Amino acid sequence: MLSIENLNAYYGQAHVLKDVSMTVNKGEVVVMLGPNGHGKSTLLKSICGMVDSKRGKIAYKDQDIIKFPSDKIVNLGITYIAENRELFPYMSTLENLKLGAYSKNARKHEKENLEKVFSLFPRLAERRKQYASTMSGGEAKMLAIARGLMSNADFLAIDEPALGLQPNLRTEVARIINEINKQGKTILVVEQNIPQITDLADKLYVLEEGHITFEGSKDDALSNDNLKEIFLGM
Amino acid sequence: MFIEIIDIIISGLLNGSVYALMAIGLALVYGVTKAFNFAYGSFYTMGGYFAWTLLVSVGIKGGYYTVFLTAIPFLFVVGFFLEKILISPLRKRSDWQMKAMMLTLGLSLFLDIGYIAIFGPRLKSLPDIVEGTIDIGPFAFMNQDIVIFILSITGLLCFAWVLNNTRIGMAVQAVAQNPMGAQIVGIPKDRVFAATFAISTIMVGIGGILLSQKNFVNPQASTGIMIKAWVITAFGGMGSIKGSLYAALIIGMLEAFVGYYLGMIHIEVAVLTLLLITLAFRPQGLMGKE
Repeated sequence: MLSIENLNAYYGQAHVLKDVSMTVNKGEVVVMLGPNGHGKSTLLKSICGMVDSKRGKIAYKDQDIIKFPSDKIVNLGITYIAENRELFPYMSTLENLKLGAYSKNARKHEKENLEKVFSLFPRLAERRKQYASTMSGGEAKMLAIARGLMSNADFLAIDEPALGLQPNLRTEVARIINEINKQGKTILVVEQNIPQITDLADKLYVLEEGHITFEGSKDDALSNDNLKEIFLGM
Repeated sequence: MFIEIIDIIISGLLNGSVYALMAIGLALVYGVTKAFNFAYGSFYTMGGYFAWTLLVSVGIKGGYYTVFLTAIPFLFVVGFFLEKILISPLRKRSDWQMKAMMLTLGLSLFLDIGYIAIFGPRLKSLPDIVEGTIDIGPFAFMNQDIVIFILSITGLLCFAWVLNNTRIGMAVQAVAQNPMGAQIVGIPKDRVFAATFAISTIMVGIGGILLSQKNFVNPQASTGIMIKAWVITAFGGMGSIKGSLYAALIIGMLEAFVGYYLGMIHIEVAVLTLLLITLAFRPQGLMGKE
């Protein structure tokens, strides 16, 4: 569904991604692990058209999207769910969700997606009139995921969904990602070392200093002592 | 005494409502792009010359109806393409807000000198939108004032409606509140920036048509208007639309009272003193967020 070849990305003078290649197949959950500041977010933002300076190839459904602007990419069915949520603070839950369905492709499905989202997150339905800026961290996280689902995307690029959440909320986020995946969405999630999320992975990658240093299944990772220690916390 | 005060309040409301129209346009651009538009006042003058050309030079049929019907699309196109051609390329560079400030400063000089080259340095007068006066009890109102007030309030209501009920309006608010979030949901930021610039050009241009009837079309009016719009926006809170509305009405009132009791010369001093005192105690302005 998504295949990246030799992707290089830059922030100003900094060369952040170095010849990154990876693939995500339809229906998979792929987890990208790696330390903070080694390029995981940049990878997701590059896929979503939010990094200007990049070269290589990003093929989505057999189309090279590397030069596409972000609004076109959202319309193709890829959505980015940001680590720090990036909600609209002075708008209600409902307005945030409706803006999530801004793209042409999403507008047609706004009603059914809203129902789906509210059944997935009953808490948000209760708080549909509340301003995003007054929500707790966990609720805001849920709203960010829900807003991403409103875009009617097939492919979700999720940036550290469990960061800063207490353990029971991490489990909740993992459950929701699993649920969304079962509903047919393909998911690429980047994380540091959250076992509940790593557990969901059909395939694991490790990104260090802008290079992919590991690619394989969970079992492969478990047999790699180095990885076991650093990323799986075992 | 009582009648005097009512007269002053009405004159304050009148100016305040047009100021609100203009200052809110500026607050909108700043709120969305975080860039200063220093050419803002020159579009006020452009509105005045546009009306003068149609009404006096061409003598067009339909008078002010035709002027407003053509001015809105004209100002939209001018604003939209100026943004697309001049400002949009700057946005790919770092620190583009500073570069945009310099560019709009240059643009305002270019436009103001252009007006003198085309229309000459003399003031032009616009015909009144309606003639006559109306008496209500002990008060006599100029019909012109009433119409100007109604038109600027209508303009404000249209603006509020567009902002809260249309897709482009919600997109504008989204970009103002969180540009990154707007990009995530797939809002084309470039188009929103251009549309915002265009809408603000309409608002200040219409303000120019309304107020130039009372103050003449003056090629040197741009700077004064720009400063006034900036003072109101800073007083109300940079980028806050509600703040600009209240600030415009307060400053309109202050001008009317100071002008009547102390003389026109003292207006600028009074307005700037109010701004300085406000910013000393509330650096974010009346309703600013930071």
